[in-house]
This record gives sequence, structure tokens and C-alpha cells, in this order.
Amino acid sequence: MKYRRAEDSPLFTKLKGEEHMIIAQIIANGILMGFIYALVSVGLTLIWGVMDIINFAHGEFLMISMYTAFWMFSLFAMDPLIALPICTILIFVIGVLTYLGIIRRVINAPGLTALLATFGLSMFLKNLAQFLWTPNFRYINNSMVSGKTIELGSIVIGVPQVVAAVASIILTVAVMLFIDRTRTGKAIQATALNKNTALLMGINTKKIYAITFGLSGACVGAAGALMATFFPIYPASGALYSVLAFVSVAMGGFGNIKGALFGGLIIGLAEALGGYMLGTQFKYAIVFLIYLIVIQVRPKGLFGW
Amino acid sequence: MVKNKKILFIIIAILALIPIITRTKAVLNAIILLLIFATLGEAWNIITGFAGQTSFGHAAFFGIGAYTSTIVFYRYNITPWVGLILGGIIAAVVAAIMSYPCFKLKGHYFAVATLAVAEIIKQIFVSWDYVEGATGISLPIIQRSSGFAKRLFYLQFNEKIPWVYICLVLFTAVILLCSYLENSKMGYYLKAIRESHEVAESIGINPTNYKLYAMLISAFISAICGSMYAQYILYIDPFMIFSLDISMKIVLLTVLGGVGNVFGPIIGASIFIPLSEFTRIKLGGSGTGVDLMIYGLLIILITCYQPKGVIGIVQKLTEKSKKTNVGGEGKIEATSGN
Amino acid sequence: MKSKLVLLLAVVFLTTSLLMGCGAQQQAPTETTEETEAPEEAEEPTTVETVRIGAILPLTGGAAATGVKLRAAMEVAQDIINGEYPELAKVPLAKEVGLPNLGNAKLEIIFADHQGNPEMAKSEAERLIEQGVAGLVGAYQSSCTKPASQAAEQYGVPFVAGSSSSAALTERGLNYFVRVAPNDDIETAMFFDYLIYLNDKYNADIKTVAVAYIDNEFGVHAKEMVEKWVKEKYGALGFELVGVVPYAVDVTNVDTEVQQIKSLNADAVFHASYIADITMFVNKYKEFKVAPKAVLNYCGGFQDTQFVVNLGSDSDYFAGGAAFSAEKLGDMPELAKINEFYKAKTGADLDGPALEEFSSVLVLAEAINIAKSLDGDAIIEVIKNTKFDAPYYATGAIKFDAKGQNEILASYMVQTQNGKYQAVYPEEIATAEPVVPIPDWDKRN
Repeated sequence: MKYRRAEDSPLFTKLKGEEHMIIAQIIANGILMGFIYALVSVGLTLIWGVMDIINFAHGEFLMISMYTAFWMFSLFAMDPLIALPICTILIFVIGVLTYLGIIRRVINAPGLTALLATFGLSMFLKNLAQFLWTPNFRYINNSMVSGKTIELGSIVIGVPQVVAAVASIILTVAVMLFIDRTRTGKAIQATALNKNTALLMGINTKKIYAITFGLSGACVGAAGALMATFFPIYPASGALYSVLAFVSVAMGGFGNIKGALFGGLIIGLAEALGGYMLGTQFKYAIVFLIYLIVIQVRPKGLFGW
Repeated sequence: MVKNKKILFIIIAILALIPIITRTKAVLNAIILLLIFATLGEAWNIITGFAGQTSFGHAAFFGIGAYTSTIVFYRYNITPWVGLILGGIIAAVVAAIMSYPCFKLKGHYFAVATLAVAEIIKQIFVSWDYVEGATGISLPIIQRSSGFAKRLFYLQFNEKIPWVYICLVLFTAVILLCSYLENSKMGYYLKAIRESHEVAESIGINPTNYKLYAMLISAFISAICGSMYAQYILYIDPFMIFSLDISMKIVLLTVLGGVGNVFGPIIGASIFIPLSEFTRIKLGGSGTGVDLMIYGLLIILITCYQPKGVIGIVQKLTEKSKKTNVGGEGKIEATSGN
Repeated sequence: MKSKLVLLLAVVFLTTSLLMGCGAQQQAPTETTEETEAPEEAEEPTTVETVRIGAILPLTGGAAATGVKLRAAMEVAQDIINGEYPELAKVPLAKEVGLPNLGNAKLEIIFADHQGNPEMAKSEAERLIEQGVAGLVGAYQSSCTKPASQAAEQYGVPFVAGSSSSAALTERGLNYFVRVAPNDDIETAMFFDYLIYLNDKYNADIKTVAVAYIDNEFGVHAKEMVEKWVKEKYGALGFELVGVVPYAVDVTNVDTEVQQIKSLNADAVFHASYIADITMFVNKYKEFKVAPKAVLNYCGGFQDTQFVVNLGSDSDYFAGGAAFSAEKLGDMPELAKINEFYKAKTGADLDGPALEEFSSVLVLAEAINIAKSLDGDAIIEVIKNTKFDAPYYATGAIKFDAKGQNEILASYMVQTQNGKYQAVYPEEIATAEPVVPIPDWDKRN
């Protein structure tokens, strides 16, 4: 069946004035969404780069943080943005505990064992959430920022997304500074480069791993609090982002924080623009295709070496 | 080799005997899925365990196989046996096409690339009307009263027992092929590539070619499993068949059993599948997610205490008993060692 | 050395298989050596103490929120059948204990979880049939209902689907399958009739229609039905389908989708969406100030009462087909009572799918009672030839046609107004007037 839209799809016709505005709007949306993906990816790339572990439970950490924000909001009327430090600290602690309880035991095992362990953890956490809080969809619809918009000409931008984007930039820069400037950060870098040499240099690699896992948790904890202001919250809500975060991390280069940021942005833009041009049902397929193309040019990711 | 053959014989004998002990459908269902996934694990093991290229996208080959035999039967009423082979060939061709750009990637970059390919193929099938797109296909059911020959020809049975034996034959064939491969020249080459790409190259092995052969064989076997699965369930849609869950299940159960060992997948599958079926059957009806919590917890425990895969226990035992034979005082050693 | 290996492997195989065997046997102690073909024939109808039926639902995974609610609704049906409720005299089986024609046998529903996976739906169906269930209900997602009902067909066990809406389900020529919910075919026609009603009575001037749908079997079917109806009937009545906006399953954001809907500028948008997606859509409609004259939802996320809870006043003025509206409870005492029981269990009002699953249990139980037998053929015979009383539906009855579709339309149009689902069409059963067109977002209070 033919639709009116098919003929004047932007692919086939010259852009009209109105169409320009829509494209601009879509680019804005894509960039904002890209920052969200970046926010989720930063934590993942840390663990992946430093410990060479794929954390399957990363999305579940996100989900727990979103639930924390939700409960803070509904029980204590605490706005998600104020609850952000609580979420960050809580997931930091969960991250450290995960390392001490599980990862420590499997880190020296061959390749994919840690993946299996984190898969078990993800299964456990997802269903723990269902057990404790029912599988109902929750939503915070009257936080400080929800529903507010900024209008730039005819482009509409949601305040929650802007806050999340700004936080994403701050977070990325903060983590980069931490890694580059502090002693602990340098120790993390050293451990990432070569664990054994780092050990010989007197670095307590176990402690470093625990910190890395915690830090990754803290990043995703902050992401959860920010995302809780504009996404539905339910036990499987974190899993949606895991796969896209994998791709954005791989696109940027494993362990590269700047890479995760740009990877996220590329994904956000690709799905928004690609989805608009080629059909929204293909938007994730387009993201995967772009990964395959990027990786042909830069086999170790955009910023990998 | 002799030792391995004996173990293999015992495994197959046990599996073959189960339908005689019990005819409970839930058990037979678990055995059939176990065999299908163990075979998939074997296929995955060739490319990942032997050649060291982690694939997170085996659902793509599995799905292509499932769809080929289904379409061939659904559209043209040709026996799934033809579709089975055809599916294997198509999957191998797809594997060859995707391998060409992917093989230059290392480690996780390759893994994510395979995942991406699988997701793209899934989306193609979702939007492709010829294969009924997102709606999925219910396989036409042949008459209930048909004789066994006709049932075998169309691979549809009222009972589960024929399925157990068909899958068992498939599994046996694949595991024999794998143990042959493991000890063949190609097996050694692949392992050399796994250990060091550069060293393998320097001694005159062409890594790309051998990885490609491994990929083709792996894709072919996976597709056959896919055909079996589709014929067994009698319904397929892109979401169930190309799901990341299937790709990951293959990876996880092989890791659980032991990567790079021909017995890894069967050991992993015989823990993984019954465990998930059992927890679901016992507790799934409650609607609280307790079943999957326990399932997740058990997986964590197994990995934490047996990080090298369950095959690790077997190897430990083997080593212990070797010592016993040599030292003669094995009993003391064994108790203190444990 | 070998003995240890053998021992280990044997232990692994046998414990797992025995564990499962036990699992099955514990729940079905009577049934160990029977042949698989017809387990229910071996049982004597007059002496049964409990009649078991199986319910297959998505109790974990992405659709768990709905699955758990449907489970609660089925439990309410079970309680009503097993207890004595003279005040519900009009509801079949309510006033007597259990199934009177089978010596007041109690009904027991065995729940099984398919996690939204067709493979598990099939194997759970087979397992339940093996345990000797007299019939099956479920499975919510049409993709899971398909293989599960195929298994039921194979063993000659009746399958009464409650809320699965894919029209294809009743087009497969299955003999043991019926469905209570209106399928998306019927629902689409109702949507267009509602639009005509709005045009005639409220001068809504709705001509153009767009469809936003999730790119899976549920959404694709809905879209196909809109295309079909526009072509066959409603196109000639002045409606035009100006475009469709599919979106991927597990979508993380719907910005682009909403931009497309905005640029289509259709008078009415039909939505085939689940709760997570529709929540995001409404949010984005508000953000981008998209306000079509009418938004109509297929049976899915909109009907979930969490939609109103989550979105507050933003949820107002959306409409959809539903078999339930809390505003009708005043006219329907039975439904009010049922809703009370349900609310005690879940803390929320009933919704369309929950009521449909509730009725599927009642239909199956009543058919078993009338058939006085647990034999699949006898039960399906009754199901296909009886007009079942259903005082909890606005239409009051359930009757299946030759294909197994409930031919008495159980649902009507509801619209959210001030956080309540008001029945708005057909006029005879309406509890409020429809609000059309949907007010612009900045004109809402």
C-alpha cells in the first residue's frame, strides 16, 4: 500500500522549509539521546578497558539506580536530581561488592567466565527487582524537570534531556580528570596496561579493580538518577541500554572514555537521522551497520590504538 | 582418543537410556533442547574454543537454518530434510560474507561485530514479507494419522522420543566431527592461531583461511540445529529465533562446561538447560521471578567456585587419579587436596 | 579414573532428569505410567475432587507486569468458582461450591511461565497437558499462544485464549481453540465506526488516519487490519490512511517516531503499543506539542491502569478499545464485586485484558461443568455450541463462531478523562461524552 509520506520522504524530494526544521529537531533529539547513551557507556568502558571484563549486569545496575531514584521520590518526595548522590553512592557500593563477592573469584579464569558470572548476576538482579517491587511500570512524572521544555525557534528541547546531557559531559570530564590527574587514576591506567607490571610496581591491583568496579557503578548510578526523570522504570528497563552501550563502547574503543562519549553521540545521531530517513523500525539496525562500517576503518574503535 | 571415545560412549548411552527410564514430556523436552544446544555449543566451540574468535552472533546462523527449512516446507512443501542441508549451505555462505570484513578485528571488537551482524539479520527478517516478517510462521501440520515413514519424511512426530534419537544422532555426529577436528592438522592450526596470530602466521599458517574454514563448519552445524529447533517447536518468528538470548545461551553454556573442550558444551548444556527448565517448572508459576533469581544465583555460584568450567572438576579428578596410579598413596592425597 | 568420570557424568545427567521428573510427578501424583495420547480419559469424571486447568502466562521478562495481573484475574475466577457467592448468582458457577455437575469438584489452575518465549510456551503447554489438565488458558502474547495452542490441538485439549488479539490465531483452522477477546480485525472496524460517530455527532471532521505500531506481530497485524479496512470499506467513507510509523521492539526512545507522526499531521492516530512505549509516546507528544484530534489504542499498554497512574493528567483524552471501564461498575453489580476481589489482590482496578482472561477461565470451567466430563472433545463441543452468560461484560454473553472467535463484541471504546476510563461508545452504554478534538497541550489545565 502506498502512503502519502512515501512520495515526499526526505530521501526523494528536496527539503522544504518545514522539513529543515524537522531535520534540525531530529538532530537535536539525536544528540541529546546520544549523551544518554554516553552516560551509560562511560561506566561500561571503564571496566571493559581496565579489567577486560564484559559486565552483563551493567544494565541492571542502571535499573537499580532508577528504582532507587523512584523510591526516593515516592517515599520521601526527594527529587531524582537531589537523590543523584544517593544513587551514585549506592551503586558504587554495589559495584565494589560485586567485585569482592564475584568478580575477584573469576578474574583470572579464562576469557568468558566473568561474562557468565555477570550474566548470572544480571538474571538475579532483574528478578530480584520483580520480586521486591512487582513488575509494574513506574514513572516519575512530576519531578523538578519533568515535562519542562526549552524552545529555540521551532526546535523544542526537553529540560530533563538537557540536564542529562550536561551531566553526561561533566561526568565524562570528571572521570577523565580522575584517571589522568590523580594517583589512583594513574594506578588504574597502569593496571589496565599491564596488571603484572603494575603489581610489581607496588600497586595493589585488587584494590584498583575494586575501585574501578565501584567507579563504573557510580557512573551508571548517576545515569540512572538522571534517566529516571524521563524514562519508564521496570525490571527490564536497564537491559534495553546494555546492548547499545556495548556497541558504543566498542565503537569508541574499549577503555576509552572519550571514545564512549563520542560512540554514544554517533549512536544517538545515527538512530535519529537514520530512523527518520530510512524508517524508524530500522533505527537499531542502522546503529549496528554504522558500527560495522566504523570498525572497518578503525579496527580498534574510533579512539583505540 | 581411546579415553575420549569411552566417555563419549557413556554420555550417549545415558542419554539414549533416559527415554526408557522416563517418558515424562518435561524431561524429554529438556533432553531434546539440551542436545540441540549442546550441538550448537559444539559448533560455537569450533570458532571460539579452537580458533579463539568469540562470536556473540551465532543466533544468526541458527536462525537462517530455522528459516530456510521452514520456508522451503511452508512455501514449496519440500521436505525439511532438504531445507536442513540448504539452510546449512546458506548459513555457510552468509558466514563467509560476514567473515571477510570481520576477521581482521580482534577480540571483543570481533565479538561485538558478530552481535551487530546478527541484529541486522534479525531486522531484515522482521521486515521481510516473503518470510512473513514479524508475524512469524506456524508450520503446516501433517495429518495426525500419518505413518511413521511420512512423519520422518516431514520431521513431525506426535511423540518426543523420535526427536530425542534424531537429536542424539546429530549430536553424536557433530561431537565425533569435533573430536576429529581437534586432533587433526586443522585443529592444531586453529589452536596455534588462537594462541598467537602472529606466530601462527610466521610458521606458514594462513590464519584467515583456517578461521574461515572453522567459521563455515560452525555456521553449517548451527543452521542444522536451527532447522531441528524450528521443526521441533513448529513455530518461528524472528524475535525468538534471532534473539540475543539464543546467542548468549550458546556462549554461556559452553563457558559453563568448559571452552575449547569437546565435552564442554554437553556438560554445560546438561547443567544449564535442565536447571533453567527445572527452576521454571517448580517456581515459575508464582509470578514473582523467584525461579530466575535462584537460577541466576546458581550460575554465579558455579562460576565462582568452578571458574574454569565444570570440565575443570573432571580434569581435576583425572589428575588426581593419575597421581593415584603413580604415587600409590592417592587416598590421603585426595582427601587432603579436597 | 574412568569410574570417577563416569560417576560424575552420570550424577549430572540423572540428578537433573530425576529432579525434573519429580517436579512433574509431585504435581501429578496420579499420572506416572499412563500413555501420552489421552491422559484425561483415564480419569473418572464423577469421582474427581479437583479439576485442573493450566494457565500459561508471561510471568517474568518484559511482559511480566501484565502477566502477573492476568494471573491475579484468573485467581479471582478460581476463587469465585470454588467459593459460594450468592450475590453473584448471575455469574455461572459462582453460587455453588466448585463444579456442581462433577460432584462439586474444586477448580485448580496450574500456572506456568513462558517468559514471552514461544519455545517455552509450547513446552509448558505440553507439560501441563501431561499433568492431566482438562483445558488451557492464556497465553497473552499471540506469538506464544500460537505454538501453545498448536500443542493443545495435537493432544486434543481445549485452549481458551483470553486476550491474545492477533486475527491470525482464529484463521488457522484449529478445532480445539477459541478466543474471547475481539481480534484486531473487529477492533479496527470499531475504531472507524467510532470515528464516524465522532464526525457525525461532534463534527470532529476526522479524515486522515496514521498508525504508529510496534514492529512485532501485534503491531504489524493491527497495521494490516487498518490497511484492509480502509481499502475495503472506510476508504469509500472518506477516510485516508496517510502513513504508518513502525518502531522497533525494545525501543529506548521515540523522538524520531513522534517527529514523523507530527509531520504526517493526521487527524487520528491509531496506536498498537505496549505500556513502556505508549508512556514514552505520550511524554513526547507533550514535549513536541503533538495533539491529533483523536488517539485510539489497540488492546495493549493504554488499557493498563498503570498508564493513568504514571502519566497523571497527561494521560487524559486518549482512547482505546477495552472490555472494562471502572465507571460502569454502578450499572453492573457483578462486575463491581469481581473488581473488588481483584482490587484486593492487586490494589488496582481491573482492565480489559485481565477481564478477558478472567472470563476465559469461567468459560472453560462452565464448559467442563456442562460437559460433565474432562474429555477434551466433549468440552470443546460444549464450548462451541453454548452461549455463555457473562454478566460482567457490557454485552452480557459470550458465543464462539465456527472459527472459535467470540462473535459478541466484548469491548467498547473508552476514553481517559480526569484520570478515569470513561466508556464513550457505543452511545447506549456510554458513561460520558467523548472529548473531541483532544485539546492542545498548552490549553490543558
